[in-house]
Amino acid sequence: MRLLEYQGKEILRRHGVATPQGLVATTPEQAREAAVKLGPAVVKVQIPTGGRGKAGGIKVADSPEEAAQRAAELLGATIKGFEVETLLVEEKAALEQELYLGITIANRHGVAVLMFCASGGMDIEEVAAKTPELVHKMEIPPGRKLEEYEARNLIRKAGFTGKTLVQIATIATKLYQCFCEYDLVVAEINPLGILADGRVVAADCKMEVDDNALFRHSEFGSDGDQIRDPLAREAKDIGVTYVKLDGDIGIIASGAGLGMNTMDLIQEKGHRPANFLETGGGITRELMRRAVQLVAKHEQVRGIIVNLYGGVNPLVAAAEGVVDGVEALPERLPVVVKALGNQQEEAQAVLKAAGIPVVNSVRTEDAVAELVRQLEGRSA
Amino acid sequence: MSILLTKDTRAIVQGATGRIGQVQTRWMLEYGTKIVAGVTPGQGGSTVHGVPVYDNVAEAVEKEGANATVLFVPARFAKSAVLESIDAGLKLIVAVPEHIPVHDSMELRAAARAKGTWLIGPNTPGIISPGIGKLGIMPGNMFQPGRIGVISRSGTLAYEVAGYINDAGFGESTLVGIGGDPVIGPDIPDILAEFEKDPETDAVVLVGEIGGSAEEEAAGYIAQMKKPVVAYIAGRTAPPGRRMGHAGASIRAGQGTVADKSRALSEAGALVAQAIADIPRLLESKLK
Repeated sequence: MRLLEYQGKEILRRHGVATPQGLVATTPEQAREAAVKLGPAVVKVQIPTGGRGKAGGIKVADSPEEAAQRAAELLGATIKGFEVETLLVEEKAALEQELYLGITIANRHGVAVLMFCASGGMDIEEVAAKTPELVHKMEIPPGRKLEEYEARNLIRKAGFTGKTLVQIATIATKLYQCFCEYDLVVAEINPLGILADGRVVAADCKMEVDDNALFRHSEFGSDGDQIRDPLAREAKDIGVTYVKLDGDIGIIASGAGLGMNTMDLIQEKGHRPANFLETGGGITRELMRRAVQLVAKHEQVRGIIVNLYGGVNPLVAAAEGVVDGVEALPERLPVVVKALGNQQEEAQAVLKAAGIPVVNSVRTEDAVAELVRQLEGRSA
Repeated sequence: MSILLTKDTRAIVQGATGRIGQVQTRWMLEYGTKIVAGVTPGQGGSTVHGVPVYDNVAEAVEKEGANATVLFVPARFAKSAVLESIDAGLKLIVAVPEHIPVHDSMELRAAARAKGTWLIGPNTPGIISPGIGKLGIMPGNMFQPGRIGVISRSGTLAYEVAGYINDAGFGESTLVGIGGDPVIGPDIPDILAEFEKDPETDAVVLVGEIGGSAEEEAAGYIAQMKKPVVAYIAGRTAPPGRRMGHAGASIRAGQGTVADKSRALSEAGALVAQAIADIPRLLESKLK
């Protein structure tokens, strides 16, 4: 779950990291009042994605009237697919230098990685791609804190000394505390700004919380609101992973690898997948019924492949759910099911009794071929 | 022979008294697996399908001589349960649960490595040595004893691949589901090394998927291996930047594509199958 900038900055301030002064506004009037307190300000949309500056989501306001006007324009606008509901009105901070400080996870080694670069700002990705030697990195093994001297050793590689070095190193150790305390998978301050008086402040903040750890961070609520696509939002509610694609064959698979392989085989047969849907290990009759109906909602879907293995998933309940789902469709779609593993005979019997074709082969390509045959039979 | 899960494996089931734990315990027993105990704190003294249940892993080790575990505990309790088993000296830990927080997985990976414990998963179907036993959720009927080692990130895809291997008359020595999460216990070369030294494995099939760089990094080890490796990578039609179910499976900034992985593997001497259906033919080209 991606936190909004102002949420991330609140966390940073609680840990003693300085940020520009700012106030949250959800109406033009609140934006005006904020600008009265702050003086010349920037008005920034609070949306859970990057690149908002280039998309027109950050405006300068030199007077309270201008702040109110900019807020009126931005509130309710759609930026990068998100409707703007919240703004952060911040004092205009003149940054002498923009730096990059970030922490992420090196998955392969299972450790956190601290990254620092003296050229931060909007072009950090380009810097990292063209001159990776300018991005200084160190791994932090799990289960212990980041010591200040370790951070200093890293940051001095970028040429910083004295008080600036110490300030940045302190911020790095605090950012790592946040990273661990809030189960973050990404914690970034970009830019980390140096002000004319030498103070170092977090001018922006990106934090992404591990969705699997939200149970121990109830303060963040659910991430369901951040999902733009209504089908993906429904999928979240059902408890499945859904990725909308632009083809004509719907997919329901009981595993991620199997789902991807099904996509690959559909493409090979000259069709295109309409979606990727993976149930995970929590199939119930109700989940399956809703999954079938969800996949059928895609406007281009002409047929559905259901590809299941009964390992932890109960195949008979899954088969009953498929039957429920298919029978509740407004219009009968060709559906082909491949269901193998524990209880496969009972599950296949349930499907056959409802007139749903079952492919009793381990080869997903046979199921794809059967569906294609049915589709071509229809159009002929 | 087989790797990791052998005739000497005496396993416990952590979470055996739960709804899924009970069913899976029965299926593992029916498959012939030596399940010597269940562990559920607070349920000590009860039994599940005739298997004694203890409150602690240490007690199950002491009384039943357990040396391995498979977990069916809710994700939020998994970290503590795995640490308990590492601490009790178990040498093989199969962490089935999905949705374990990644910070927990990072700690578990480090703790297991520090003690020389095999941590398989999290988010794994488990490990099966056909004819000997299985620790995990894979349906036993999808596998046959044989001499092909299989390593897979995905569970369901591994079952499919095993089907093709069986149809071609090969069968599996051991199948290891390493786990679909971004941070997992095993590195692919760790498992490849076990297969390389197993006298009853003739070749290895590596089933990968898009995202990350585990397959590319395994290439260095594959280049030194004597046994043939056949690789297949799923997800050639996956759109970049989208997470395809497994938290680890997304193509980022042009990295982790099927083409990248196939190239690295093929340069290391692995035979890369374009489709699962090609795997038997590639195995035959090396083994017959």
